[in-house]
Order: sequence, then C-alpha cells, then structure tokens
Amino acid sequence: MGGSKREEKAKGKRGRKKKVKEEEEEIYEDNFDVDEEEGVPGAAKKNAENAGGATVLEDEFGAKDYRKVLEMKPDHVNRPLWVAPNGHIFLESFSPVYKHAHDFLIAISEPVCRPEHIHEYKLTAYSLYAAVSVGLETDDIIEYLRRLSKTSIPDGIVEFIKLCTLSYGKVKLVLKHNKYFIESPFPEVLQKLLKDPVIQECRLRRDADMITQVETKKAAPQFGAGKPGTESAAAPAAEPVQEVVPVPDDITDFYSKLDKADEDDDEQQTSTVSFEVDQEKIEVIQKRCIELEHPLLAEYDFRNDTVNPDINVDLKPSAVLRPYQEKSLRKMFGNGRARSGVIVLPCGAGKSLVGVTACCTVRKRAIVLCNSGVSVEQWKQQFKMWSTADDSMICRFTSEAKDKPMGCGVLITTYSMITHSQKRSWEAEQTMKWLQTQEWGIMVLDEVHTIPAKMFRRVLTIVQSHCKLGLTATLLREDDKIADLNFLIGPKLYEANWLELQSKNYIAKVQCAEVWCPMTADFYREYLHCKTCRKLLLYVMNPNKFRAAQFLIKYHERRGDKTIVFSDNVFALKHYAIKMNKPYIYGPTSQSERIQILQNFKFNPKVNTIFVSKVADTSFDLPEANVLIQISSQGGSRRQEAQRLGRILRAKKGAVAEEYNAFFYTLVSQDTLEMAYSRKRQRFLVNQGYSYKVVTKLAGIENDPDIFYKSREEQALLLQQVLAASDMDADEERIPGEGNRPGGVKRTAGNIGSMSGADDAVYMEYKRNLSHIKHPLFKKFRA
Amino acid sequence: MNDDKEAGKAGKSSIKTLQCSNLYEYLKTLSPAVIDRLYTYPIICLAIYRDLPVVAKHYVIRILFVEQPVPQAEANEVTQVLSDLRVWHETSIPGGLPAWELNPVFKKNFKNSLLGGGRTWGIKANLETDSKARDVDYLDKYAMERWECVLHYMVGSKQQEGISVDAVRVLLHAGLMRQDDEDGSPVITKEGFQFLLLDTAEQVWYFMLQYLDTAASRNLDLVNCLAFLFQLSFSTLGKDYCADGMTEEMLTFLQHLREFGLVYQRKRKGGKFYPTRLALNITNRDSSGLAAQRKDGFVVVESNYRIYAYTDSNLQVALIGLFAELLYRFPNMVVGTLTRDSICMALRSGITADQIVNFLRLHAHPRLVAKGPPILPPTITDQINLWEKERDRFGCSDGILYSQFLSHSDFSILRDFAQEHGLLVWQNDQKKNHGRQFWWL
Repeated sequence: MGGSKREEKAKGKRGRKKKVKEEEEEIYEDNFDVDEEEGVPGAAKKNAENAGGATVLEDEFGAKDYRKVLEMKPDHVNRPLWVAPNGHIFLESFSPVYKHAHDFLIAISEPVCRPEHIHEYKLTAYSLYAAVSVGLETDDIIEYLRRLSKTSIPDGIVEFIKLCTLSYGKVKLVLKHNKYFIESPFPEVLQKLLKDPVIQECRLRRDADMITQVETKKAAPQFGAGKPGTESAAAPAAEPVQEVVPVPDDITDFYSKLDKADEDDDEQQTSTVSFEVDQEKIEVIQKRCIELEHPLLAEYDFRNDTVNPDINVDLKPSAVLRPYQEKSLRKMFGNGRARSGVIVLPCGAGKSLVGVTACCTVRKRAIVLCNSGVSVEQWKQQFKMWSTADDSMICRFTSEAKDKPMGCGVLITTYSMITHSQKRSWEAEQTMKWLQTQEWGIMVLDEVHTIPAKMFRRVLTIVQSHCKLGLTATLLREDDKIADLNFLIGPKLYEANWLELQSKNYIAKVQCAEVWCPMTADFYREYLHCKTCRKLLLYVMNPNKFRAAQFLIKYHERRGDKTIVFSDNVFALKHYAIKMNKPYIYGPTSQSERIQILQNFKFNPKVNTIFVSKVADTSFDLPEANVLIQISSQGGSRRQEAQRLGRILRAKKGAVAEEYNAFFYTLVSQDTLEMAYSRKRQRFLVNQGYSYKVVTKLAGIENDPDIFYKSREEQALLLQQVLAASDMDADEERIPGEGNRPGGVKRTAGNIGSMSGADDAVYMEYKRNLSHIKHPLFKKFRA
Repeated sequence: MNDDKEAGKAGKSSIKTLQCSNLYEYLKTLSPAVIDRLYTYPIICLAIYRDLPVVAKHYVIRILFVEQPVPQAEANEVTQVLSDLRVWHETSIPGGLPAWELNPVFKKNFKNSLLGGGRTWGIKANLETDSKARDVDYLDKYAMERWECVLHYMVGSKQQEGISVDAVRVLLHAGLMRQDDEDGSPVITKEGFQFLLLDTAEQVWYFMLQYLDTAASRNLDLVNCLAFLFQLSFSTLGKDYCADGMTEEMLTFLQHLREFGLVYQRKRKGGKFYPTRLALNITNRDSSGLAAQRKDGFVVVESNYRIYAYTDSNLQVALIGLFAELLYRFPNMVVGTLTRDSICMALRSGITADQIVNFLRLHAHPRLVAKGPPILPPTITDQINLWEKERDRFGCSDGILYSQFLSHSDFSILRDFAQEHGLLVWQNDQKKNHGRQFWWL
C-alpha cells in the first residue's frame, strides 16, 4: 500500500516534469493517469476515447478487470507473461522460457517483486530509457514482449513504449581523442538537432559537413584474465531452450535473433554520423537536447582517449568474476565503450570487485567515492586484493589519511570530503585543487542511493570524469528521489535477483526472524501515557526485549557465531552494551577505536559480539558476522533494513550443510508502533523473496538464570532509568554532517512520510512549494 | 474422515463452526425406527458395511452366518459403533452372559446384497443404447456447472442462472443463508462462508443431509430418498440408467438431484439419466473426491503475501475474494494480496484461519505441491494464524472482588494473606477493594 503511495508521488513528480519536456509531457501525463485514474494507461485511455469513453472496468471485487481488454492466445500455456494495461508485467518463473523472459524484462522494466514463483515487473519511462541506452530498439521491445505474452498486448502499452523509446537513446555524446562529438546512427535525428539554433551555436566547424564514419566495433573487452570460461558464462542465452515443454517457435527464434544482435555488437559494422561540439558548451547542449527530447547518452571511448595517460592496473589472475558480475559489466562496456549507469547488486555480492574491474578495464585515472572513512580503507584493500595496484598508486583522501595524490592512479575519498565547504587544511586544499584540474577516466560512486541529488550535483561540478558508475544494493529511497539518478549518473544497467544469488550460494542463506517481545505491564502503562517522543525509548528499553536480545546473543555465542547488534538509539545502545559488557561503536567513537574494535571482532575469538549504531549501516565490511540482531531501527526505512541484512549476506565458507547459514533477528515490542514500522521495513526484502518468521516465544528463556531483568524489581529500576533519561536520549542518533532533521524526530503514526522513513535528513531535498516548482535538475538547465 | 476430525477440532476454538458429520454421525441422529427401515434396503446395508471400521467389518462378517447370539467379549469403540447403528443389539445367551446378536433385518438384507436373491436392489440399467450418449468428461463438466450454480447463488454473483425455490429453502434451512432483515432476500451467513471453503464432495454431502432433513416437508420419504442416493453411489459413471418404474415421489427427487448436478437427464421426461461424479462420491468422500481436487489446484501463494489464481471461474475468484484483496484480473488469472485487513475481514465473517489455510492448501498449484512440503510458505500460514490470534488477546482468570473494607488494615491483612498464598489477582490501594482469586479445595 505504501508502495502505491510512493508511486503516486513519483507520478506526481513526473507530472510536474512535463513543463520541461514538451513532448515528454504526454508520457508523464499518461503515467500520471496510470495511477491516479485506476489504471487507465495513457494510450489505452486514448483508445477508449475513440471508442466512446469507456474506462477500465472494475469487477465486483474491486480488482482491475482486464478480461475484456486482453485476448488470450491459444498457446498461452507456453508463454510466460501477462502484461497489464497499466504497465505491470507478471512473469511465471517456472516457464521453460523464463530465462529469456527474465533477461529481457530486467532490461526493459523495473522489478517490483521477485519471490519464488511469479515475479512482477513494471514498465516505467526510466526503465525504458535504460533499455534503449543498452541498445534495445523500440520495435524489438514491442515484438518480443508481444511474443512472450500470454495475451494480446494492450495498445496503450505499445504506445507507451513507443513514446518512451523512440526519442531516447538515439544521440550520444562521445569523447574521442579529447574532442566531444555528438554521434548518432540516425542522420535525420542529427539533422533535426542541427536545425536548432542553440546547438548550432555550440558546434565547432560550422561550415563542415557531418562526419560520416563507418566503424568496425571492437569486441567488448574481456574482464579478468580472459579465461575461456567467462565467455560461456557471459552468454547464457545461447543455451539450447528446446525442452520437454514445447516452446512456441517464435519465442526461441526471436530470442536467438536478439541474441545474435547482441553478439553482432562485437564486430558489426555500424555507420554513424557525428559532429564535433565545443567542450565549453557541453552543458548547454545537454540541456537543450533534453528540451528537444533527445537526451544525450554519455559514452566514453576510453580506448581512443590518447590525452589522458593510461594507468598501469590490471586485475590479478586470481580475481574471478562471478557470472552476474560479468553480466553487469558487459552491460556497461557492451559496445567497447564505457556507459555511465548504476549497477544494483545485493550487499555482499561483490560490488567492490565490479568497481575494481571497471577501473581496470578503463585503465584511466579513477576516483572512488564512498561515504565513510572506514569504507575508504576497505576500498583500498579491495583494490590491493583484486588488482595489481599497490600503495603508491592508491591515494586515500580523508580527514584522517591523506596520501600524496600526485601521480597516483586511483583516488579514494568520501562524499563529504569533496563537498566540504568549510575551510580545509592546507594539504587538503592542495589535493582539492589538483583533483579539480584532473580529467578522470571513471568515477565510481559507492552506495549511490545515500547521496541526495543536491550533494551529488556538487560532486559533479567539482570532479570532471568521463564516465560514472554507481554501485548500490538498494536503489530505494523513501522520497523517491532515486529517479534523478537516471539523469545525473545514467540508467540502471543491471539489477541482480537476490533469491537467485542465494540459491547459487553467492550470498548467504539468511533466516529472517521477527521476535515479538511483549511489553511488560509497567512499561506498557507508561508507554500509553507518555509523549510520543518518549515512546521510542520505552519500547526499545522494554525488559523483555533486553532479555530476548541477551538470550539470542548467548545462544549464538555458544554456537560460535559472530554477532552484530544494531541499535539506532544511543541510549539503548550504551545501556545494552554496558550491561552485557560488550564493545560498542557509535557516532562519537573515534576512527582508530572503531578500527580497533572491528579488528578485534574479526580476529579475536573472545570478542564475538559487538554493538553498533547506524554508522555501521553501510560499508562496514564484516565478512565474519553471520548473526544480526536489531533492537531499534529508524522508523520504517526499507533501505536500512536491506542494508543491515547486507551486513551478513557475504557468503559463508563451509556452511553449505545447514539450511541457513546466517540469522537476522529483529526484536519488536508487541503492541507498539514498532510493529507497524517493522512491517513497513520488511516490504522490500519480502518483495525480493525473503520471508520473515515470526517468533513469539523463545524456548528456554525463562529458565536461564543469567539473563537480566527477570524480577519485577529489576524491571522497575530499569523503568526509573528510562524515565529519568533526557529527551536527547530518547532521540535517534544524529550523525554529524547529516544536518538537522526537519521538525520533531519521533512522529505520530499518522504521518505517512515518517512511517516510511522519508523524513530522515539524509534523503531530504528541500522541498518548498512542491506543487509548482520545476524539477530541480531541469530548472538548473533552464535557468 | 480426517478432514471431519480436523474441522471438528477447529470447531472447538471458535463459537460457531460448520459441523459436517460423516455417515456414521448422521445415522446416529436418526430414530431407531428409521434405521430399521433403512435396513430393509440391501444397498444401504452394503453402504453402511463399507463405512464401518475394519474391526467392525470383521465382527459383522464373522457372525453373519451364525444363527445364534455370540457371547460378548470386551466392549470398545467398535462394538459401540455397531450398537449405535443398530447393526447388532445386546441380548443374553442362556446362562445370563451378555451377548451380541445381529439385527435380523440387517442380517437378511446384507446377505441379500452379498449373495444376491430377493428383489433387484440396484437401479435399472438402460438396456437400449443411448443414441446421444454422454461421456464422462461431459458429465463431470455438467455436474460442476450445476453445482457451482448453487454456490454462485450463495455468493450472490449475478452472472449465473438462478436456482429453484426448493434449493433456496434448503440453503435457508441449513443456515447457510438467511433472510435479509430489510427485504427478505436471502443473504449468505457465516456458516455459508465456511461451507464455501469445504471441498466439493463435502459440500454435496452436507447439502444433501440438509436436504434430507427437509424431505418430509416436501412429501418425500427420507428412507426412500436415502436408499436412492445410495443406489446412485453404487452406479457406474458414464452409464445411463432407466427411470421407468420409479414412483412419482422418486421422480420428484430425481428432478431435485438433477438441479444440483448429481444426475444428468437430457429431458425431464426422458426416462433415462446418468449419475455424475458428485453422486458417486457421496458415500466415499475421502479418496476419489480429494484426488479429483488435487488435479486442478490453481492457487499460487507467494511468500510476499501475493496470491495468483489460475482461474476464470467467478466462483473461485469470489472465494479468494473472501479473504484476499484482489488487484488484477486477467483472462485466465487473478492477482490478489493477503493483507491484515482482508484476513481480519474474513475472520470477522466467521471464517477461521484454519479454513483459509486449508482452502489454500487444497487448491495449491501443482508447482507449490511439487516444491513442498510445506506446500504453502510457512510464514504465510503462521501469519494468518497470528492474525487470528490477535483477535483473542484477553486472558480471563476467575476471581472474587472484595470491596468496601472498613479500614485500611482489614484491607492489608487480607491482601497480604492473598499475596502469601499467591492468590492475588489485582488490587487497588486507593479504592480499598481488591480482587482475590477464588480458592477451591
């Protein structure tokens, strides 16, 4: 339900965007209708208008009734898809052609949920944009969709696809020999662009004709040491599909055709036309092209870049790419050039290796941005582990570690370092200056979902790079600002299926459990009567929760597991940790202490449990941990839930024998706000196919004499402490640099925004007068 | 029969649950006179014999040809069953020892059914070949269509043709529907919803029992009807039988059965009829009935609370709509989602969590069955049960309220006493009255 709310918001925003792109307007308008008007897709609506104003029927149960609109094909049993007129697509995962359909759908649509049997996808303007940018063509998309579908394709969808794809992806902005070219295989499109006075302004050598060039595309680069094995892994589509179940011929035929087209990419002769443009005016051109609804795709022909020196890094022979990593990289380097875009892989599935490989493929100066000092260290280690880069080539640029930047090949820094606006040390100032003058080959943006568009734009104005690779596990933001990334970085190139990786043992098999801890009577009485901001503290400090946490920690320590305990609330974090005598890390913990604690956790057999606050949500790489206990969390943030799960996802060695090799517990106090939050938080993972087991009783907890807060007196004492705590303690942790939250921090359940975690400052855009403001991205271009 | 037991168990947890008794339980409710009359039909004797527990079958067959009472061994459930059904009765042999003796009517007619003899007791097969013979598939389809008419009527969907006043009366009588307070039109009751979630064979059996209850009111003789039903259940599927020579009463009954799809008759006065699977399954509901259901499982339940149902039947959709929120309808598929609200709505209308889970399990898509066990994602079944439990959070403990103490010391003496003995349930200092658990020795 929250999802649809979010969609509506998204639609609302897209609706606003229409002021920018005149013809795009129609698309957004359409999309708007999809959700606002009970699933009448734009073009279907047009149809209906022609036919006399009929709308999509609802049956007597309130479901959208497409039975009249769609026509079954006689051989529908063998086809895997249903396409709803509102852009939702349902895919049978047990169909013999699942693999093809899945690859195809991932390219053209956004996955909504992917549990075991039937997956749901959604066609959006952005996903189609992404599809075009990796080389699919309008007719192919429609034709293949038609063939895979069990029913006829609604005309509205066809129209929608045409609207979204015809103008996208036709024109590319290419940097070749350090000159910028606008390039397109369609001369007529370039002609059209050239007629525009603004673009004429920007063109160099205005009198010359367009350069027509027939080029032989080079084979897509090999990743890794060019092992023969990779090739077969990268072309899974070539497997024979004829199985016992008859597959309609047209599906296989067409698939092999598409497939061939893909391979043709390697040595195909393509004739493209291009004209050179003025480097100074790139931004003007980009803005103008969006206005002319031909957004420029940025590609970097790194092989022909002679101006920027190559750096000498390669993957080590020991670095083996997994099939999905290889696949995601092929999407990026599909035509021998580097496309900008975002790759979405679950935490622990080896995002860093993808980043390192991308850098080694481009072999130009690379800059890696991440969001904490600790992860800077971890990226450095990753580079040293997978590539031939050594200390001299890798430069860290953080507030604590500043290596000498000159002559380095790979610079690793944090977002806040780059965007820092206050006075810097002299040393940092010099590095910044140097950094700004460089032309970077590739920019890798780690955890790209965490940065607000505003900050991101600042990064882009400071750092000049030819191509950008965003890495993230969860392309999710409760405020839906994620769509901006499509234009700021590039389309989503690849998104992995969690369940599939899990079944192939690339990531750990996690047992998720929600442990219900009943509130004790005393706590609940206080809970009902206190102010909202106090409630959080009461349900987090619920003695039963403490007992459950202690019980689980003991249980897993006995098993020899490594446990991380998360608490967003610092008061609770300290209390739990001190009471149980375990180390803890939170905001004010110094960098060196953090690293010391983490090292101990990794290597000291006596330290099996650590307590952390939300500073450890992302980028704390703790491969040893396999148990995670969450005692308090940030409202209903789905992203945080997924990120935390990611902490224990790294595949565990030698644990195949067990059904599950990692455990994820969320402790919730029964009958409190937490229950609702918890349900909201789980939505994303549940849609990825994870299931939460509800535990209402922990066997044996009553009989364990060592567990605290058994007696009523102890509990009463705890209640005293909780009530004595200041309001500051009741608050969630604020991380310096995140800025202030707007308004009070604990909100009532009535506010949808706060339920979904949307009001956290990290994700906050300053939205004033939302109703009439232009989309900030385009506003900038138009100003 | 297992199903019945489960349903019985579920029944205890909620207040009103549909009781679907088996043959034995049903017969027990009949008066001895009726039972004795039933035994005049060899076919019923055979049917009852088949339904007996194995040990009871041994007893019966061993003493069938013994012409004198046999001494009683230990009494157990099995002997009780036989007594309840009046298959045998207690007597005494010379010397005063208690003994069993088979019911003479039962004995005679059971022998007849096993050995032949007496007048023919089956329904007459049609001797001429039917020029427009119907095959089994056609009959199955017809039967389901007719039966679903009844169910459709219950869920109030408009697409289907209506059902006869008689059938409506049965539904009302059975408590599956009730007259609406405002306009008197029948509306479905809580029991009705539960009825819909049963499998077809159980539904037919339950419905027929209710029908027979009202038999007298339509001038039908219960015993004759039962006998005819049993005759039908021994007939062969896909074979046509002759209605000639049946009494007027039985012909009316036949027309009723025709309406519910238990028999197929091309023309009202055709003189020929085909029994359908519904009629055949009426006495042996456990085996073949279930097998038939398994075949056409159509519901996919996902761990993210989605339900995908491969069906175009309005009825199936309506059933799923009872406890799920429906999102999309495609020509051959329905997409729905289980939410707390939708489940709670179903629970409020009297459906139990067990019934929902059983329904889903019973109709699970072959994919799920192949993957299983468990067939359904455990989280979903757990959650549905938890949602049901949510409605039952209050625990009660008995107590006695002592109030209006004269002084505080009286109050505290009593309270301390209660506390010492661990009997104190609740106390309130301010109001000077406190509750103490009642103590029984």
